[in-house]
Amino acid sequence: MDQDLKTELSKHGIFATTFEELYNWGRKNSVWPLTFGLACCAIEMIATTMARYDLARFGAEVFRASPRQADLMIVSGTVTKKMAPQVVRLYNQMPEPKYVISMGACAISGGPFRDGYNVLKGIDRYIPVDVHIPGCPPRPEALIHAFMALQDKISAQHLTGESRPRHLKRDLPSEFQVPELGEHGLEPQQNDEVFRNPLKVLQG
Amino acid sequence: MGKNLPIAPVDHPWATIVVLLIAAVVFGAIPLSLAWLWARLFSPPKPGIQKNATYECGLEAKGDAWIQLNVSYYLYAIVFLIFDVEAVFLLPFAAAFSGLSLAACLAMLVFLLLLVEGLIWACQKGVLTWA
Amino acid sequence: MTLEEIRSRLEAFVPGCHAEIVVNGSPSAQNSLLIDRQHGLQAAMYLRDHPELQLDFCSNVTAVDWPDREKAEKIKTKRIVDGVEKEVEETKKTTIPGYLEVVYHLFSIAKKEGPVVLRMHTANRTDEVTLQSLTPVWRSAEFQEREAFDLFGIVFEGHPDLRRILMWEGFTDHPMRKDYVPPPDDDLEILAVSEPGA
Repeated sequence: MDQDLKTELSKHGIFATTFEELYNWGRKNSVWPLTFGLACCAIEMIATTMARYDLARFGAEVFRASPRQADLMIVSGTVTKKMAPQVVRLYNQMPEPKYVISMGACAISGGPFRDGYNVLKGIDRYIPVDVHIPGCPPRPEALIHAFMALQDKISAQHLTGESRPRHLKRDLPSEFQVPELGEHGLEPQQNDEVFRNPLKVLQG
Repeated sequence: MGKNLPIAPVDHPWATIVVLLIAAVVFGAIPLSLAWLWARLFSPPKPGIQKNATYECGLEAKGDAWIQLNVSYYLYAIVFLIFDVEAVFLLPFAAAFSGLSLAACLAMLVFLLLLVEGLIWACQKGVLTWA
Repeated sequence: MTLEEIRSRLEAFVPGCHAEIVVNGSPSAQNSLLIDRQHGLQAAMYLRDHPELQLDFCSNVTAVDWPDREKAEKIKTKRIVDGVEKEVEETKKTTIPGYLEVVYHLFSIAKKEGPVVLRMHTANRTDEVTLQSLTPVWRSAEFQEREAFDLFGIVFEGHPDLRRILMWEGFTDHPMRKDYVPPPDDDLEILAVSEPGA
C-alpha cells in the first residue's frame, strides 16, 4: 500500500497495515535478551536495565536465563579464547530468529587487550553480529541506541522474497561452527562463512 | 415463527450448551491453528545437535549422570529426618500449647523423647562431629 | 632484621645454602635475596619458622623470563700498532645464558614486617626448568606457582597439583615467555603495514 495513502487514512482514523508490519512490530517490541555478561560492559548493561535507563520501555525487560527463551545475545565484554566456544555454543542453542549486539571495544575487536595471548579479536569471527557499539565501556545510552537500531533492523525485515533474513531460509542451518581449544589457540581462527576479513573486503 | 424457518430450531434444553461448547472450542482452535500455520510458513524448524543438547550453559556435558553416592549418607538422612519431623510436629504443638490437656502434653513429651534418643544415638555414632 | 643479616643467617644455619643480595637501584631500593635452587625449600622453612623472622605469609609469587643476553664491556688494552704502542679500546662481548626466575614476596603477619623478596633461578630456559615448590611451606603459593608453570613453564617439584590454571589443558606454549609468538593472524595490522604511505 502506498505510504501517502496510509497516512491519509490514518488521519481519518483508519489504520491500515500488512501482516509483515504487524508481525515485525510485535517482534521488535518483545526482544528478550539472554542473561549473559562477560566483563565490565556487563555492568553498563545491568545499569541499562535498571530504573534510571529502563530498557523495559523497549520491551526488553525480561532477561532470560536460558538460551532457549532468548532472542538477543548482548556480548558484553572481553571474550577470552577459553570462553569463545561457550559463547558460540550458547548462540547455537538460541532459537531463531536471533540477534547479536557486540557491546564495547573488546567484543568488537579485542579492544585494549587485542594483543593479549588469551583474547579473541572480536566475536564476529564466529557468529554474525547485527549491531556493534563502540566504547570502553559504552554508556547505557549507547546500548539503548544499539537496541533501537536493532529494532529498526527487525522492522525492515521481509517475510518473503530473496532479501528475507537467514532464519526464513530453510536450507541455511541455524548452528555455527564452535571453535576448539587447540595447541596454540582457537581452531579455526575464524569462521569464514561469518567473518568478513577487512583486509580481504578492501582488496575486493 | 419457528415454523417458517427451513430448519427447525432444536428445542432440547442442552442445545445452548452444545452451541457454547462448539464456540469455545473454535475460539481456542483459531489462534492455535493460525499460530501453527504461521510457524509452517514463516518459522522453518532447524534442529541441530547443539541446539537440542540437554545442558544449556554453553559447556559440553561430560561424564555420566548416574553417579554413586556413598552409602554412609544414610546417617545424614536419618539426622535430617529427626530434626525435620521434630519441627513439623513441634510447630502445631507449640501453637496449640495453652489449650492442650495434660495427656496430650505427655504424649508429645514421649514423642520428643524418642527423637532425642535418636539424636543421642547419632551423637554416639559420631555423625555430628566434623571430620 | 636487615636483608644482610637474613642472608648471613641463611648461609650459617642452612647447610650448603648460598644466598646473594640482588640490589635494586630504583628509589624504592627494594633489594631481594637470591637463593640457590638446591636449598630453596630448606631456606623457606627456615625463614618461616625462625622466631625472629616468622615470615608466615607469602603474598605474591611471580616469574621473570631472562632470555640469553649479551653484555658488552669496554676494555682498554695496550697494543703495538705500526710500531708505536697505543692504547686501544676494545669491546668484549660475553653472553649470559638465559634462565627463568621466580620471585616470592614474603610478609610476617605476626611481626608486622615485610616484604622480604626471595628469588630463585632455573638452570636454563629449555630443559632444566625445575625448581623446588614452596607450596608445602606457604599454601598461598599453590595457585600462583601453577600460574608460573602455565605462563612461563617453570616446573615446581613437590607441588601438590601442578596443572595449567589460566590456559586450557592441551595448550602447549608458555605465553609470558619473551620468545612467545602468538599464532599468526591476517588482520588489521597487516592492512596498516601494507597500506601505502602508512
